[in-house]
Amino acid sequence: MSLIAVSGLLLTSCSEEFLDAEPQSFFTPGNALNTSEGLNSLLSRALVNVRAEYYGDGAPMITENIFSEVAIEGTTDKAGPAQDLNLQILPDANLNSGNTNRIGWFWENFYENIKFANTVIGRIDDAEFDSPEQRSDVLGRAMFHRAYAYYRLTHQFGDVPLVLEEVTSPRLDFVTTHRDVILDFIQNELNQAVNMVSENSNGGEVNKGVVLHLLTKVNLTQGDFTEAITTASQLIDGGKYALMTQRFGSSAGDAEKDVTWDLHQVENKSLPGNTEVILAGVDRLEFRGVGSAGNGTSVMRQATPLWWRFINTPDGQNGMSDEPNITIDQVNQIGRGIGRNRGTRYSTIDVWQDANNDERHKLGNWLDMEDLVYNAPSLEEAGNSFYGQNLELYLPDGTSLCADTIRNWYGFPRYKLFVADPTAVKPSGGHGDWYIYRLAETYLLRAEAHFWNGDNASAAADINMVRQRANADPITAADVNIDYILDERTRELYYEENRNTELSRIAFIFAKTGRAAYNGQTYSLDNFSQKNFWYDRIIEVTDFYNIPNLKTVFGVSFTMSPFHALWPVPASAINANTQGRINQNEGYPGVENNIPALTTIPEPEKDS
Amino acid sequence: MLCLTLLFAFTANAQSEFIVTGTISDEFEAPLPGASVLEKGTTNGVSTDFDGNYSITVSNQNAILIISYIGYGEKEVPVEGNSEVNTSLEPSASSLDEVVVVGYGAVKKKDLTGAVAQLDATKIASQSTNSVTDVLRANIAGLSIGNSTSPSGVSNIQIRGNNSITASSAPLIVVDGFIFNGSLADIAPQDIDKLDVLKDASSAAVYGARGANGVILITTKRGTSEKPTITINTSVGFAQDASNQRPYSADQYDDWRVDVFKSSRGNVAAENPGFFDDPNNLPNGLSLDDWLAYDGGQGNPTRVWLNRIGFQDVESQNYLDGKSIDWYERINQTGFRNEFNTSISGRKGGLNYYWSIGRQDNEGITVGEEFEAIRSRLNLDAKINNWLTVGANVQFAKQDTGSIPAQRLQIIRSSPWGSEFDAEGNIRLSPQDDNGAGAVNAFLRRDFSDRVDLDHAFNSRVYAKVKLPLGFSYELGYANRLEFREFYDFYSQASPANLVGSAVRDNRKINEWQLDNILRWNKTIDKHAFDLTFLVYAEKFRSFRTIGRANTFEPSDALGFSALERGTIQTIESEDVTTTGDAYMTRLGYNYDSRYLINFIMRRDGFSAFGADNKRAYFPSASGAWVISEENFFNSSFVNFLKLRLSYGENGNRNIGNFASLSRLAAGNFLNTDANGQAIQVPTFNNQTQENNDLRWERTRAFNAGLDFSFLDGKIEGSLDAYRNITDDLIIERQLPNIIGFDNVITNLGEIENKGIEFVIATQNINKENVQWNTNFNFSLNRNRINSLYGDLDENGNELDDLENQWFIGEATDIIWGRQETGIWQSNEADQAAVYGVSPGDFRILDVNNDQLLDVQDNVFQGYRLPRYRWGLTNSFTFFKNIDFSFEIYSNWGQKRLFNLAKSRDGFIDRTNFWQTPYWTPENPRDDYARLFSNDGSATFNVYRDASFVRLNNVTLAYRFPKRIIEKLSMSSARFYVNGRNLAVWAKDWDFFDPEPVTIEGRSDGIAPNVRFFTVGLDITL
Repeated sequence: MSLIAVSGLLLTSCSEEFLDAEPQSFFTPGNALNTSEGLNSLLSRALVNVRAEYYGDGAPMITENIFSEVAIEGTTDKAGPAQDLNLQILPDANLNSGNTNRIGWFWENFYENIKFANTVIGRIDDAEFDSPEQRSDVLGRAMFHRAYAYYRLTHQFGDVPLVLEEVTSPRLDFVTTHRDVILDFIQNELNQAVNMVSENSNGGEVNKGVVLHLLTKVNLTQGDFTEAITTASQLIDGGKYALMTQRFGSSAGDAEKDVTWDLHQVENKSLPGNTEVILAGVDRLEFRGVGSAGNGTSVMRQATPLWWRFINTPDGQNGMSDEPNITIDQVNQIGRGIGRNRGTRYSTIDVWQDANNDERHKLGNWLDMEDLVYNAPSLEEAGNSFYGQNLELYLPDGTSLCADTIRNWYGFPRYKLFVADPTAVKPSGGHGDWYIYRLAETYLLRAEAHFWNGDNASAAADINMVRQRANADPITAADVNIDYILDERTRELYYEENRNTELSRIAFIFAKTGRAAYNGQTYSLDNFSQKNFWYDRIIEVTDFYNIPNLKTVFGVSFTMSPFHALWPVPASAINANTQGRINQNEGYPGVENNIPALTTIPEPEKDS
Repeated sequence: MLCLTLLFAFTANAQSEFIVTGTISDEFEAPLPGASVLEKGTTNGVSTDFDGNYSITVSNQNAILIISYIGYGEKEVPVEGNSEVNTSLEPSASSLDEVVVVGYGAVKKKDLTGAVAQLDATKIASQSTNSVTDVLRANIAGLSIGNSTSPSGVSNIQIRGNNSITASSAPLIVVDGFIFNGSLADIAPQDIDKLDVLKDASSAAVYGARGANGVILITTKRGTSEKPTITINTSVGFAQDASNQRPYSADQYDDWRVDVFKSSRGNVAAENPGFFDDPNNLPNGLSLDDWLAYDGGQGNPTRVWLNRIGFQDVESQNYLDGKSIDWYERINQTGFRNEFNTSISGRKGGLNYYWSIGRQDNEGITVGEEFEAIRSRLNLDAKINNWLTVGANVQFAKQDTGSIPAQRLQIIRSSPWGSEFDAEGNIRLSPQDDNGAGAVNAFLRRDFSDRVDLDHAFNSRVYAKVKLPLGFSYELGYANRLEFREFYDFYSQASPANLVGSAVRDNRKINEWQLDNILRWNKTIDKHAFDLTFLVYAEKFRSFRTIGRANTFEPSDALGFSALERGTIQTIESEDVTTTGDAYMTRLGYNYDSRYLINFIMRRDGFSAFGADNKRAYFPSASGAWVISEENFFNSSFVNFLKLRLSYGENGNRNIGNFASLSRLAAGNFLNTDANGQAIQVPTFNNQTQENNDLRWERTRAFNAGLDFSFLDGKIEGSLDAYRNITDDLIIERQLPNIIGFDNVITNLGEIENKGIEFVIATQNINKENVQWNTNFNFSLNRNRINSLYGDLDENGNELDDLENQWFIGEATDIIWGRQETGIWQSNEADQAAVYGVSPGDFRILDVNNDQLLDVQDNVFQGYRLPRYRWGLTNSFTFFKNIDFSFEIYSNWGQKRLFNLAKSRDGFIDRTNFWQTPYWTPENPRDDYARLFSNDGSATFNVYRDASFVRLNNVTLAYRFPKRIIEKLSMSSARFYVNGRNLAVWAKDWDFFDPEPVTIEGRSDGIAPNVRFFTVGLDITL
């Protein structure tokens, strides 16, 4: 037969390159962290976490509030929210949920920010910079973020692991470092960073003023009160910042309002004319999904009472409705609150006893439940005489018209909580900027430093700067003590400051200095988890943890112990660290496995 | 990149050719179309035409012809110089002569050395199936198929247990020799001729790095006769909710709500006895005035009461007016289904063709739930001459899932006392004015949206086979998959749920090619048969995706997703992926006299996703079989066939994600403000994973021992397999302390073992002229164990468990570990319950160490999530030659499933409806369900329930029209059938929807409806 030729294609892969499929739609450290822009992007990511504390459903800042005297968890229709703290605050409970608490969120996100900072610091020499100033600005801001995270962690959790390098291979042998070592370290770094970080920056970015504000807090917690006065004064007297005392911004022309109102409208917080803002989280509707914070502040949902249900008229009819666009539309005025962050009697009534002309408690800026009106359309239809009348809590015989006064009945600062929510049918609090550091707090920090230094006159002067701007009555040196400073912080910084961290800082100062507190007690670091000012203060002034047999409508009690001054280290961190020992805080299961915390800075880990 | 080498081969045909013709018939002397005629010891073969005729050119006059036909005994006929050879075949109950596809080749079932299971077309045809996975369900031992409730009907598949912790455990699908990465819904069940499942590693080793989870080989139909054959399959049917789970009706709703409030506001109820009770039915001693005075209620007491139990004003008014809505009836439907498939096939000269086209249109059980598929397949094989064959398998499928169903969740969210429309007739956002509790009108999305959700997939493989001298043959195959996925969605501003309109366009193109070069050598020398296969393979996958979004349209949103540029806020995203792989494979088969069979496979694989230092790996396997019944000493009239199989093989698993070894910088955005206070975007990076250049293949080493048997002329036939698979270098997310800024790294560690037994038996129970009865039974069990994890030791030298992932040395991956509920605290146990911060009606948790604290030290092992045993049983009957009846039962036994619904607090039950479920009350105490809105106290725990079940899955009754009628109608066959699927399920301890989860591991409560299907159909062959 014939000879037949057959041909075919035989494939061989003679090159290893065939298998090198490069990632196309994402960057890797190898190709993107060797530029100043790459490193800066890590630091911007750290700011995403800093901002996130103030935003969203069950915002982490609420946990800071409920672990203090200004608020409690007001979700009363179920078990799970952080109310019965003795029962619920455990290392292996769900510590990162809007329905429980955000203790785990702080742990995870602050350590994530430490990673960003460590990565930038470790790779700073890999990148090229336009100028030495640019390099030192990036490096200084990385040091700020590391210090910010450790400042918070050492007040929330006490002694924690000190990680100072980017960890690029599996490591499971971490141990806990004493908080004094960590605070010494970050105080030293912040002192360097003050001279490295540029004076001016974009709004929302870390600059020298931001570093000084944090350094003031660190100086205070270290007991370096004179240094704290120095750093605070650099901010206050530097010429760049000043309290806002004149009407400004979007509401400047509204004669009904005042400067206190102007100051807290989200659209005014980052205005060029606002000299009071030191650091704001920037969040705008038009950047939703591409830079904004999730679904926005959600602040009205979180902190406004659940006013739209279970409130009866004096003639026993349902009084309230959260329907929008009805004849008396209240939901668009104050939002559809769920009362998660429930202000205590202390923060909503007691600190306002002598408010007089204080704008922060002026009707309209502040709303008590009696300022709302019965608005249910069913009342309107029935021609009920209470329709449109102000709410009442009691009948003349004392019968309560609201079955759940925890969740449904308390006053709130509308001037702070109102954030328009144009894409929601029932507003929760939309996108808007939020203060993270504001000069009013710097004044109150300096006042505190003066107080600790025994200079009550200077302290009173600083406090009066804040009070007078709000048209509140000035005080005298004789009025100044920690009780008053905490009260003034509540009035000025409610739903703004990190209340648990700051209260804890003061408790540590009492324990460290051994100074007698206004309540007659003295404290020591030796038994901090058994006796501390943090716990005594909360029990002294709040009306929940200190009332026996108080129960939510569901039946949960409010309990708290001194050891809650330090939160439990999440079990996940301890369990995964199989070759070392991360200590648990006293009072929580697992503490028996602790080993002594390091008292020196740990040696850098050698990568194998 | 690629080097292409041209291969030239020369062939000389020197021997004296001889042509043989003839006719093959059945036992009644009727012609057998499509019977196979093969020259023994060669690959030279033809099949008979419609009239049973064949013509074959054999190498010499002394050749031996092997004649075979499915369902008939194989016959060897020597040519002995005759140019015409006619013969008839006898029917056989045995399936041993059936050809089994084994990957890059095929062998007879009796010559297999590995564990391979087969399902053939006749089996599939007798059931009404929605999808490929329906075909496989319960028919093959060792195969687990998840439950499916969607109209497309495709489910998860797992073969022989979970061999991996984090990598996917889905098997590899191969269609006509082409590794199929598309959707199983693209394959029409009617096009399938055979399904072969490679279960053990030695069989799957031909697919090396892809084979660790087993391989399912799908062979589609070919033309069988010279006369064109046309088949038409039509069916209509319906789907209905098979569960009896219903929400509270309007009549039950208020009583249930009273119980909700008594439990969730227990403190109010305790301080004000009778507070939540119906004023028409107050407790003894409580006057209406006292009852009203609790909260100053006045006016209509019923309205006061409804207000107390959380009725919104709209609900109260409707209640008083007696106007209710049955949302279950509104949202649930009986889904209509219809399917039409037609095919034409045949053989002409050297051309074999099969072309089919079909349309499936299935409604689901939710109003508006619809799935439409159009599928077409063209199989062409052209024998150009006696050394060259070329062919193409082309498949096109279009899936349309763009219909928007009603929101089924609203069955339990929307109040029966709500209103759907306002006074002006406009649709209301929420029936009970409580969208915050998730109650919105179920039809909003459906009424105010526009959606396109289309998937077009073209799969094709072209090949050329060249016959070379000396028993060699060469095949070149090129396969290509081109898929377009489009998702366009618009949600209008006109919906009461929206203040602005929003739209998205999501386009994805997937393109992938595979190139196979296969060189085969078949040689029979006396009793020695050799079969050698070489493979050189390469693949490349590319995917391109663009997502554009817009909202807040100006001047209006009337143009929807067709004018994204009208949105004032626009965002765009893109995601592209490329992966590459290559492989070499060698297989050597040796067969001595069909008595001793040996198979060796070596495969080398490369894949781009692995760490830079470990891109490639080798996977060897060896297997052997001894056909004892072929031995001279074996002489049994009872045992016709007995074969012992032993195999060892190694496989890999590469389903780890495409970039798992890389440190990834997740990019995002943050906002700053400029000097004017305007927001500006700044980029962000998150270095959220660690790089792992050592990341390497997960490797399974598998041993399999099997016994195949056939007794009584094939009347009893089956196999028994035992296996042990050891998977090491497991790819897992190793937990790291989260203080490094993330909490895991993907790495290779540890070892898992799976061992099990599979037993299959097919019997012909009755074989009379008017009654035939066949039974198929399969049984399997699999045991899984973690042998090692990270190698971290405790102080006693024992390896540490991974508590975070709940992986324990020496335990199964599916073990349940945690705090265990031991029933409900009863009313007289209030004091003991209070110790744990709970009340009567809450779950009691086992306090192992009695320290009155429920923490990790109280965790106990509580059983397994996967079945301990599975079995399937199919009985088929034929009566009077033309009535077929079959039914199929299967069972999964011993598994537990998450059932936190027993905590009686899903969703906002104080504001919405819910499924009728039992719950504890002081008056009706029970031990299995907690009180409404129960309290976990200080414990974190899950409730598990035994989900063992037996299901009557598939019942078919069919009538084949008698020949005399058919012939009058010029048809060759016609069949009418009635089929029911998922007809009944009996569960030992599960009474909420279906015990079988949609995912194979029951990690979710699974509030999924259970769907029952009825179908009637007509199959006609012309």
